[in-house]
Amino acid sequence: MKDFLHNTWKHRAHVILALPVFLVLFFIMYVPMTGLVLAFKNFDVTKGIYGSPWCGLDNFKFLIASKNIFITMTRNTLMYYVIFTALGTFLNVTLAVAIDQCIFKKTTKAMQTLMIIPVFISYAAVQFIVYAFISKDTGLINGALGTGTSFYTQAKYWPAIVTITKIWKDTGYGSVLYMSVLAGIDTELYEAAEIDGANRWKKIWHITLPSLIPMITVMLLLSVGNVMRSDTGLFYQVTRDSGQLYSTTQVIDSYVLHAIFKNSNFGFTAATSFFQSVVGLLLMLFANWMVKKIEPENALF
Amino acid sequence: MARIKKNADLAPSKKEKMSGGQIILLICLIIFTIFCFAPVLLVFISAFTDEIYITQHGFSFFPEKWSMSGMNAVLKYGKQLFTSYAVTIFVTVVGTLLGLLIMSMYAYAMSRKDFRLSKFLAIFLLIPMLFNGGQLSGYIVFTSLYHLKDSLLLLILPLCVSTMNVIILRTYIVNSIPSELMEAAKIDGAGEYRTFFQITLPLLKPSLAAVGFMMATAYWNDWQNALLYIDTNSKKPLQLLLVNIQKSIQFLLNNNNVPASARAAMGGAIPQNSATMATVIVVIGPIMVAYPFFQKYFIKGLTVGSVKG
Repeated sequence: MKDFLHNTWKHRAHVILALPVFLVLFFIMYVPMTGLVLAFKNFDVTKGIYGSPWCGLDNFKFLIASKNIFITMTRNTLMYYVIFTALGTFLNVTLAVAIDQCIFKKTTKAMQTLMIIPVFISYAAVQFIVYAFISKDTGLINGALGTGTSFYTQAKYWPAIVTITKIWKDTGYGSVLYMSVLAGIDTELYEAAEIDGANRWKKIWHITLPSLIPMITVMLLLSVGNVMRSDTGLFYQVTRDSGQLYSTTQVIDSYVLHAIFKNSNFGFTAATSFFQSVVGLLLMLFANWMVKKIEPENALF
Repeated sequence: MARIKKNADLAPSKKEKMSGGQIILLICLIIFTIFCFAPVLLVFISAFTDEIYITQHGFSFFPEKWSMSGMNAVLKYGKQLFTSYAVTIFVTVVGTLLGLLIMSMYAYAMSRKDFRLSKFLAIFLLIPMLFNGGQLSGYIVFTSLYHLKDSLLLLILPLCVSTMNVIILRTYIVNSIPSELMEAAKIDGAGEYRTFFQITLPLLKPSLAAVGFMMATAYWNDWQNALLYIDTNSKKPLQLLLVNIQKSIQFLLNNNNVPASARAAMGGAIPQNSATMATVIVVIGPIMVAYPFFQKYFIKGLTVGSVKG
């Protein structure tokens, strides 16, 4: 202990250097964690978080009472996680390999620049772009097909709309990570394969793809920790928070955001948030445990 | 990036001749590029399309009538637009610089070898990545405990520190800055602070550029914190302006009997298609312009970040 204090005193300059981030994390990340107790409280604005009376598991009874909403948003959250992760990974890898294989290097570089642009457009702006495509009277899609489909009132179209928007926004950027792995492959491997008479497909199958597998595994496993979280902008902005679409577009995060604005159903929201945080933690621990088993050096802790 | 480039030149495919397969591959890539870029292009085209043309024929990549009225309508927001620009620029610049400074300080402290507390610092940094209070707790703590509603601090602080960015910076310090340099500085009589500010910080530049650009983009694009916390017009950033435009369109569409006075209060008329697109350009423009210059840095940053420290 004395050693420890001595060591800390010797490094007092480092303690001071670390202090600002420590304080920001403490006030912005750690204190809000205590807000999760609201799941067990009957929140009263005038009494604040810590002064509000406890109410045991009442809020969770709410959750069970309105289980349809809860199940819908949990189902949507999970469903989109699976779609985005599966399709996203597939497309990111395909695009990275395609760019890597293409011999027109200058052209692909310019194309890559254009492909990455959408990731830098906020969802607040993206929703206007989506609107230009799917609006009822002026949308490009209705214009091209000569139809008058009202997309903003029909939930069945939204799994496709949301998925296409997500792919459009993230694929170009997502492939960059995999491309950097491909760039690191030892070219001698390819040359050796060539001497052995491997054709292009064989080289991709036996050299390129296997070299990507560690990165894919790690990215997938790390994403498991975020299963309960969604791209709020995608589900809140792009759908314009339209009530008619909730059955296919409401995810936990967009529900909570909506509830904060409408100031409604407080206990229910607090219980949902608690559920989200705890399940998120468990999944994250699980994911890290898995990474540790498969690729120990890529584990987070 | 240099590594990528070098390898690209060495890539085996270069030796191969053009073949049918290559042409097909190129065409597929071009199609995907169009898929990615066309919607962005549509924004620019629509912003300069005649409003009546859009109402009658819908959005189009090849409008027959062009007009500057959309852009003029944006200028009508006038003062609010400039205020919002100022707020966004202020938040982006202050937030990014502050974040870069304090995060590299923390990363530096964490990377000191015989500093016993550094283990605690690492764990303290990691926990928020595993577990957090969620949006609702954050909202209630910030507004009813800290009473920071409508404060620019809430646009700056929540995006200021991120675990991943500190890890990227720390990895860079450990792997790319020789510790002999820091030791030499100490032998020459430089104090801890001087060593950090005059030796480490300047050498961190490539990593700071990568992290900084990603941070700046996150600040520039942040609509959620603004929507949650900012009420006063003089503190509204650009993204909130966009959100408000959409809200007012929806409001007017849902209420046919909105009195003229209310319409006037919203800036004269229902925000229209071309004007909205022109606003989108105004909001995303600066990033579009800055991004090509930073592209090589953030590709590098992403690569560094993927290597765990």
